[in-house]
Amino acid sequence: MAQKQQKKVTDLPSLLLELGKSADFIHETMRLHKGKIDLYYFKTLVDLSLMKKDFLPNIKKTESPSLYDLEMTLPFNQVEVSSDVQLIETKLLQGCVCIQTHDSNVEAIIVPLEDDNLRDITVPEVEFSVIGPKQAFIEHLRTNIQLIRIRLPIKEFKVIELQVGTLTKTKVALLYLDGIADMENVNTMKQRIEDIDFDHIDDSSYINQMIEDSSMSPFPQLIDTERPDRVSAVLSEGKVAVLVDGSPTAITGPTTFIEFFSAFDDYFSRWHVSSIIRIIRLFAVTFSIFATAIYVAVLTYHSQLIPRDLLATLIQSREAIPFPPIIEAVFLELTIELLREAGARLPTKVGQTIGIVGGIVIGTAAVEAGLTSNILLIIVALAALASFTTPIYRIGNTIRLLRFPFLFLAQLWGLIGVFIGFGFLMVHLLGLTSLGRPYLEPIFPPRLADFKDSVIRLPFSMQNKRPEQLRTGNSTRFNKKKAKAHHDIDE
Amino acid sequence: MQQPIPARNLVSPVMVLFLINAMQVGVGVLGFPRYVAEDMEYDGWIAVIVSGLITSVMIWVIYDILKKGNGDIISINKELFGKWLGHTLSFLLLTYLLSVTMVVLRTFTEVIQVWIFPNLSTWAITAVYCLLAYYCIVKGFRVVVGVCYFGVLLSLITYLSLIGPIEFMEVRALLPVFNQPADTYLPAIRTMVLSYLGIKMVFIFYPFIKKPETSLKWALLGNALTIFMYLLVSFAAFIYFSPNQLSATIWPLLTMWQIIELPFLERFEYLAIPIWALVILPNICLGLWATSRGYKLIFSINQHQTLIVLLLVIFCLSIVFNTRDLIDRLNTIVSEVGFYITYVFIPILWIVQKLRHKGGSYETNQSG
Repeated sequence: MAQKQQKKVTDLPSLLLELGKSADFIHETMRLHKGKIDLYYFKTLVDLSLMKKDFLPNIKKTESPSLYDLEMTLPFNQVEVSSDVQLIETKLLQGCVCIQTHDSNVEAIIVPLEDDNLRDITVPEVEFSVIGPKQAFIEHLRTNIQLIRIRLPIKEFKVIELQVGTLTKTKVALLYLDGIADMENVNTMKQRIEDIDFDHIDDSSYINQMIEDSSMSPFPQLIDTERPDRVSAVLSEGKVAVLVDGSPTAITGPTTFIEFFSAFDDYFSRWHVSSIIRIIRLFAVTFSIFATAIYVAVLTYHSQLIPRDLLATLIQSREAIPFPPIIEAVFLELTIELLREAGARLPTKVGQTIGIVGGIVIGTAAVEAGLTSNILLIIVALAALASFTTPIYRIGNTIRLLRFPFLFLAQLWGLIGVFIGFGFLMVHLLGLTSLGRPYLEPIFPPRLADFKDSVIRLPFSMQNKRPEQLRTGNSTRFNKKKAKAHHDIDE
Repeated sequence: MQQPIPARNLVSPVMVLFLINAMQVGVGVLGFPRYVAEDMEYDGWIAVIVSGLITSVMIWVIYDILKKGNGDIISINKELFGKWLGHTLSFLLLTYLLSVTMVVLRTFTEVIQVWIFPNLSTWAITAVYCLLAYYCIVKGFRVVVGVCYFGVLLSLITYLSLIGPIEFMEVRALLPVFNQPADTYLPAIRTMVLSYLGIKMVFIFYPFIKKPETSLKWALLGNALTIFMYLLVSFAAFIYFSPNQLSATIWPLLTMWQIIELPFLERFEYLAIPIWALVILPNICLGLWATSRGYKLIFSINQHQTLIVLLLVIFCLSIVFNTRDLIDRLNTIVSEVGFYITYVFIPILWIVQKLRHKGGSYETNQSG
């Protein structure tokens, strides 16, 4: 089968014959003043209005139907004459019109007339921000690159174009800033994309999963974003970005664990605010992973841990419950996951209703029926809420997934189990890399300078160096000494 | 000869601080105040400082040996004592390191069994630890260092926890100082140096440090941090317990943790012991990493397979040592051996190397 797909057609007539087996492939013979020409194209790929308006009138006007005359007269750029059958095949399949005259059956002229069929550039929906630019990528590679190039009008901004997917022939663009990005990162990324051997590439997330350092890890190791402003910002930090044709998300890397918890609008609000919000987010994530597990551990094994006053409240709420804490917790966690999944699969308006029905009705009913304690309900709901604070969608899913192993460890060995699980998590994160760079940086290896934009975000006046993590070619963003005006009191 | 270690596996000199500190602070800190107090009562803190300083000197000696030998202990032993004797010495040293790892693991298992889960079987805890250590070590030295780093950070809760017993402290109990007879100093110091023994690990990981000769100051700082921690813990223990009480308390630090009370937490030790489970993890990981690496160099075998064998050995031995008495005896024997290795073998090594160095034969070996 694969052999058949790869079968190469070596001469032009048999190529055209082969393509003609498809119903949307058009072969037209046109009579001109002197002689005839043949037009070949896919009517589903070319821009028919452009063809009517500009292409056909100009063809009709030409005096002699020779290839080189046509090449001169057609008012399109990138018109070329070729006898390369492979090239003609590719171009035809990309939406070019191929013209053949009767004086040669090996050469043909290729006119690009592809229909772009663009969607409008819209507001980012996944990474929405109140302040800041309101553009999101669309499915068209050229437009996406354009969105970034407008933001970085410098010659150092380089694009490498690659192609992956034996069936989809997806165009992939690798973006970096020459002289700033570490060429090692660029080459690693390029090599990994080139090494992809897969037939069908639908979205950048396919490529994301294929080029990650460890595909066995539940943690994403490259950040995907739908914001052109975020991409251009990370490019000028010295990172590398990948855009995929047909995908409205870009992949950026190398990245760190902490970066997954920094939203792009942290840069738009004042640094105090965004620093505190980042810390809250990290706290939320920790809470989300451990809260239910600790509840189960404490209630199952370490009831001595609970202060006397709290114990009374807890006992009261658990009095009528016929299950051990673990069953209660798993039941509630699964309910929440169910609600989330149902909400995600349904259209927005119905999804909201489901959320309300599920959250309020089922929750209250479960407590009243004596199936769960209301304290656990609070904890589980808060933990679920906390997991939604992650700005990057992908890591939120990972966080929710992580809760379950901790829950079972807590049931197994109490707090010891939770901390052993934490040990495994820690070792796992320590071993992860993103494009070969340590994933837990700046926490480990500890790099104090890189803390300026990780757990907290210091003011821009202190962000004068690019992250050490990235090993940039030019680490200085601006000269801090020069930027700092020397002045004294009342001057 | 030995392959040079690829640059991506090297760690920065600062990490030596964490490596040294993580190796020294383990299960020992939970119990050491009792031992010094047995010899010196409340002057025990002097022994803590003095033995810490002696350890600093030993660190300097170890660095001197390694700097001249320019490699790890295996190549130095081979260089100085010839292939057979050298390898035998290295083998014994590594076996000692392995038994330290085992003792740490076994002792901590006992802590868990005594304080939290009396019915939890030894093999289960050991198996989980072995699994965790395996997962860590197969990822390489960098991850082991990472575990040490987090272990040290987590061990800092000790300082916070000492705030708890403050209200029950009787500072005057420390006075007058120097009221112990001079002949008690030596045994106390000898007991106390045992709590600082982790430094021999430098012998194995030295080539994994970037510009290793610059890391001496970090090693000393790591040791200084240990001294500081021990000092605070012993002060706290001395002024919290009465002498008789202290001699009857096996793990003074744990007993002190018991009285800490937070608004949301009645019994601090139930939280602290699980945290301590991660503080002793570096001991196990680094110990197993070093021994498996050492055996690999001696016998030219695969480190991965060696590691699996060593884990099985530790697992089986932990089950064999199943009574308080045996564990205590094991602890004593391993500490004794450690004492002689540090204070007899290392100085001899140092002197032999000095002599060889003067003789010039070593110099030519190096350049040749």
